[in-house]
Amino acid sequence: MRNTIPGSEHFTSRPMPRDELLGRIPDTLPLHSVPEDRVGDVDALTYEVVRHRLSAITQEMGETLRRMSGSHVVTESNDFNFSICDELGEQVQVGTFNIGLIGSMDLAVTWTLQHRATNPGIEEGDMFLCNDPWIGGGLHQNDAAILAPVFHDGKLFGWTTAIAHQIDLGGLRPGSFSPSAQDVFAEAAPTPPVKVVRGGVLQQDVADMWTRRSRLPHMVGLDLRAKIAANKNAADQLLRLVDRYGADTVKSVMRRMLQDAETRLRTKLDGLRDGTWTAIGYQEQSGTGDRDLHRIKVAMTKAGDRLTFDFTGTAEQTGIINCPYPGLRAGIVFTMLPLLAGDIPWAAGGLLRCFDIVTEEHTITNASFPAAVGKGPFGPAWGVGNLVAEVLAKLLDSEPQHRRDVQSICNGTTDLCVVSGVDARDGGRKGFVSPIFDVMAGGYGAQVNHDGVDTGGRLIIPTAKAPDVEMTEYLYPLVALWRREQTDSGGPGRQRGGMSGSVCYVQHPQQDAPMSLVVSGTGKVANQNVGLAGGYPGNSQLDMVVRDIELPQLKGATTVPADLDEVGGRAEVLPCEGESVLGVRDALFLHWQAGGGYGDPLLREAGSVRDDVLQSRVSTQAARDLYGVVIDDGGAVDVSATAALRLSLRGRRAGRAGGPAQAPLAVTEPVLERAHRLDDNLAIVDVDGSETVACTHCGTLIGPAHNSDFVIELIRTDAEPSAAGPHIWHDPSVYVDAEVVFRQLCCPGCATAVYSRVVPVDHPLPEDVYGGRS
Amino acid sequence: MAYALGIDVGGTFTDGVASDGTGRIISAKTQTTPPHREAGVMQVIEDLSAELGISVREMLSQTDYIAHGTTASINALVQGDVADVALIATKGHRDSIYIMNAEGRTLGRSAHEIQDTLRQRKPRPLVPKYRALEVTERMDYAGQVLVPLDEEEVRRVARTLVEQGVEAIAVCLLWSFKNPAHERRVRELIHEVDPGMYVTLSSDVSPRIREFARTSTTIMNAQVGPRLRTYLEPLQKQLEDSGLTGPLLVMQSEGGTITADRAPEHAITTVGSVLSGGVIGGLRMAGQLGHRNVITTDVGGTTFLAGLIVDGEPVMAPGSIVNQFPINAPTIQVHTIGSGGGALASVDEGGNLRLGPQSAEAVPGPACYGNGGLRPTNTDANLVLGILSERGLLGGRKPLRKDLAEEAIRTYVAEPLGLSVEEAAIAIHEVQNAQAGDLLRRSVVQAGFDPRDFVAYAFGGAGPAHCVGYCRDLGVSEVVVPLGPVASAFSAYGLAASDVVISAEFSDPSSFPIDHTTLQGYFEQLEADVERALGRQGVVFKDVTLQREIDLRYSMQVSELTTPVPEGPLDEHSGEAVVRTFEEHYERINGSGAGYREAGVQAITYRVRAKASLGFPVLLPEVEEARSADPSAALLEERPVCLDSRRGFEATPVYEYSRLRSGHVLVGPAIVDVPTTVVVIPAGSAGRVDHLGNLVVTYQ
Repeated sequence: MRNTIPGSEHFTSRPMPRDELLGRIPDTLPLHSVPEDRVGDVDALTYEVVRHRLSAITQEMGETLRRMSGSHVVTESNDFNFSICDELGEQVQVGTFNIGLIGSMDLAVTWTLQHRATNPGIEEGDMFLCNDPWIGGGLHQNDAAILAPVFHDGKLFGWTTAIAHQIDLGGLRPGSFSPSAQDVFAEAAPTPPVKVVRGGVLQQDVADMWTRRSRLPHMVGLDLRAKIAANKNAADQLLRLVDRYGADTVKSVMRRMLQDAETRLRTKLDGLRDGTWTAIGYQEQSGTGDRDLHRIKVAMTKAGDRLTFDFTGTAEQTGIINCPYPGLRAGIVFTMLPLLAGDIPWAAGGLLRCFDIVTEEHTITNASFPAAVGKGPFGPAWGVGNLVAEVLAKLLDSEPQHRRDVQSICNGTTDLCVVSGVDARDGGRKGFVSPIFDVMAGGYGAQVNHDGVDTGGRLIIPTAKAPDVEMTEYLYPLVALWRREQTDSGGPGRQRGGMSGSVCYVQHPQQDAPMSLVVSGTGKVANQNVGLAGGYPGNSQLDMVVRDIELPQLKGATTVPADLDEVGGRAEVLPCEGESVLGVRDALFLHWQAGGGYGDPLLREAGSVRDDVLQSRVSTQAARDLYGVVIDDGGAVDVSATAALRLSLRGRRAGRAGGPAQAPLAVTEPVLERAHRLDDNLAIVDVDGSETVACTHCGTLIGPAHNSDFVIELIRTDAEPSAAGPHIWHDPSVYVDAEVVFRQLCCPGCATAVYSRVVPVDHPLPEDVYGGRS
Repeated sequence: MAYALGIDVGGTFTDGVASDGTGRIISAKTQTTPPHREAGVMQVIEDLSAELGISVREMLSQTDYIAHGTTASINALVQGDVADVALIATKGHRDSIYIMNAEGRTLGRSAHEIQDTLRQRKPRPLVPKYRALEVTERMDYAGQVLVPLDEEEVRRVARTLVEQGVEAIAVCLLWSFKNPAHERRVRELIHEVDPGMYVTLSSDVSPRIREFARTSTTIMNAQVGPRLRTYLEPLQKQLEDSGLTGPLLVMQSEGGTITADRAPEHAITTVGSVLSGGVIGGLRMAGQLGHRNVITTDVGGTTFLAGLIVDGEPVMAPGSIVNQFPINAPTIQVHTIGSGGGALASVDEGGNLRLGPQSAEAVPGPACYGNGGLRPTNTDANLVLGILSERGLLGGRKPLRKDLAEEAIRTYVAEPLGLSVEEAAIAIHEVQNAQAGDLLRRSVVQAGFDPRDFVAYAFGGAGPAHCVGYCRDLGVSEVVVPLGPVASAFSAYGLAASDVVISAEFSDPSSFPIDHTTLQGYFEQLEADVERALGRQGVVFKDVTLQREIDLRYSMQVSELTTPVPEGPLDEHSGEAVVRTFEEHYERINGSGAGYREAGVQAITYRVRAKASLGFPVLLPEVEEARSADPSAALLEERPVCLDSRRGFEATPVYEYSRLRSGHVLVGPAIVDVPTTVVVIPAGSAGRVDHLGNLVVTYQ
């Protein structure tokens, strides 16, 4: 149920053209700018020197933040970012930390320019604090931004920004995020930009108002100072640069960096063929007690040098799985930057100019106030990122020179589990709140020629980190029975998805009371870590509390249970969104998500499967069932048994479709004349003047390319989810009411899988439109 | 007569320096001779004795000590050419070294590389999973045993590994730095199975919290230890057979030496030995010149390294990164600034001029070498600008091809940017200077210092052509180019001139200040440890200083600040005084007002560093004095040179170094040809030859 709050529309920020923004800023705020036609005046040498200096200043901001922060989200997980912007908030240089934040920082600056210039004024030495996700500067209230105007000669020259996730800023539940929230009022309060530093002085009243709301005021206080210091250092150096080269020159360099990034991305896009690619994903459960799947849909159209992301068809806002507009924009940036702009300097403002967003209002990816949005970044925004990664990968896979930028989807979201309680070790009574950070070590998706990185982190935070177990045990009264890479978790494929891991904690022996748990995570039943080109999804996320284990708190233990089988007790599966307790006789098990595979696993080189088995990345059983590779007792590939098994598995795929198991065609990799390859398996060939999709492995002409009409000619099977492998959750009814299936689409000739997904049974078939070159 | 020898075994050359302690100091250079590097060492010793005009036996029998550094271990690690090692870990936690805290993708990578997210992968694992085995045992955060060690299981595991034929075993158990009992018992049990097995315990090699870095350090120690042993044992024997009675010392990354018989056990502490040798060389020269704060820069063909000396001491780092794996061994901080003289210049798609990070490497080298290199380098630009002469370096054998340099710059830089070849060349030269200056400034500022309080030293073949340029923006007061008799073997000189440094540390994370008697007890224990270690060196030390340190932070922070602790007895006020020192240093780095005592202060690691002098002065000799400041007697030629885009080409005097004397003054623009390098003195600066033969450049 949606209600509206009159006046809340004031607190929204949308991208707008520079001229329009300029018209909304009062004349009383003098701006430094250079005319567009003078931007090119800077010589190559000065440009290069100043550009490098700006990059160095930005990197130093990150180092300052890391060094001074007290929050493990910052120091152990790198969930923060920062930028240098021009006078209108266009981001000239950004950090390589949480890159989604880039999609929201400029929005907060432009809002501040429009609404703070007159009262209380934007003046030299001021800084603004903001954690309002409708305004930007973060994706949920936990992201707290400090925005700092930089003045030169009395004019606003530019801005620096620093944002970091705060573990707790108050609200109903520890961690500021409540699975049962009906609206934002059950979460941390959003704060629109307030002046926290005035004339260079930290305002004690504002600082107290800020830290007072938190269950961890010292941590929030340290981070506040860290962000102020990072901004201050950056401003000092920026002004030193201006003194040396002149304000106009530095600004010209900044403007040219934006132009350069924009031009390079546009040129890259222009070289690709046009088309429309569609992807649909799901958020499982909208909050405590919900049993539905909630759809996010994107149709990406590439026309000439521009992208349009159309989210029409996305579910209406509901429960806690919502994000405001800055989160939607962040979701696009999450994956667009690494996939499309890895080789272009991240003068992000220029990159952000290259796409448009089409969205309905009041949806889970464009939620209006007062929807609950605390889960925004790791719920719907991350979901958007997965889908954007999928459509971009499909676009790039059809271009031979860009296939190295294709990557199946990484861990489909985080595995959030906030633990809180009292640390009673050594006679203490100290309260604590912390998410479990081991889950940062998610698996990366496979690439066309590389396996996904095992426990590699997260795509959306290129420098993601997980803490050492010793650091977790030092800080919190927990003991990790194990933390390991999980065999078989990586999505099977010709290239295997990167493994995820699992961790299992019990309470320290000196503890005597239960701890509270808040859990949140989607991808437990309809996998969002999808594989591409027939690659299988990575593992289903699985969180459990095991009650009444055999060796509670390891008291008197002579063995270490190092697997669920050895723990004993009763496993209680935790919901996608919910709360629980960890008693002293219990164990907490978290198994986060791996990356999706790429290509059909039956095409994986048998020697690579053998190596995976030797290194515990794939079990002997999965090697056999999913890869069709038989490893003999001596650890070698049984070549003839493998060939026979692979043939029979192909036959079974054909047979599962309903008809008798026919003998599939051999995989011969024929030379297809004048073919345009779409991905690992499919190519468009010309048959009597009409574009026809053919199988690259056996040469079978499958059907017309037009509107993806060939798809109905593929062998289609909908099997029970566990047919996808031991890493896929077997019983969807534990979480949702929908019927969920393992859907495979295979070549009618050789039965090579071209699509392998775990989806609700009503999930539409692919409907991509491959166009020509513009 | 008595001698001190320094020997630096590099990848290509083995350098030696011998000093007699009274001002005579000589150097020699020979090819490194892998895999039997000891042959090169014996050769350079023979060359030194020949230079002294005495026999090897005569020289060695009068040698107080030989200080030795080698790149063999670091090269072996970088290239993965190491011993087959196994790992024993706590049950449930074998995968720490594979998970790498997820940061293994990006450890040690530049921001530019990290941005190319899809190309960042983890390195090859240090050990394959089937050679990483778990044993049942568990300690908690306080070092209390939760689960006892299963000794039968350890024996089984040890037998399995021995059967697999591993050369060494690394043991890293959780919380072993708090309680090493289980690790020590594991070692005993392994030695029951195979008494000769090389075993490294994490609690010995790196008793620090955070199991990933500790495991990584322990494994790498086991990887290089056995081979360091098979190199040093015969070398020491050969030296003793040839008359050496003093100790053979091995340089460590932290800038001091340990004896050769102990080095293999702590092999990982020696991997940065040669880099540190350069900084120590700078340190010794600084002592002689009276400089307290120095930025040392060492620019070779492929690397640009920088170190810092502050208040007469090198700036240290608690660890380093090799191949994306962390090494927990205190080290003289050496920053990699860029790619040296061979840095490739290119123009990217957006029309931006870039220098590096790729380098032309030794082969094919710059285009002007004529070895098939087509891409322009910094060196090519310097040739086009007239900084280098076509006849090459005076001491070099190879002429340089200006036509090839011009062609490379035209194709890859000038035409894409719409510049003339000469304009492109000066752009490359100036961008290299600006880029290096930026990075240098960052490393100084981040360490909490103001570059204006420093002088800069520039050694290495490719540095002196740029140092005055890249130091201009730093604001340093002067730039010193060491040009005396050991300039080409500076690292070996540093080795000969080093002290013995030994440190002991342990982690005990807790709120700080702690009770002062406990604090006193910690330091007394650590001091006893280092004094015992010094006693094992077999050397009589002249004087020994002990420095106490604690790594402190505000509660919840993750980076610590190493904070000095006063010597002598501690009282109830000492802890508070240490916290004040910490906060002062904190605010110096992060800005005043940045401190936040309300958050509480935590101690993580306690450490004592001992520095013991060998008492052998390795002084640089003085050079002959000039009669006047006028250097015209040393004038070699005048040629058109461009050192500044605003001035263009102008006739520039070129002086021959060997004819310069102490007191000569060279007003820029000028160039000095030295056998091993070229020094650039741009307009607006002047160089003076000092009493040690160094060129000291100041700005006007």
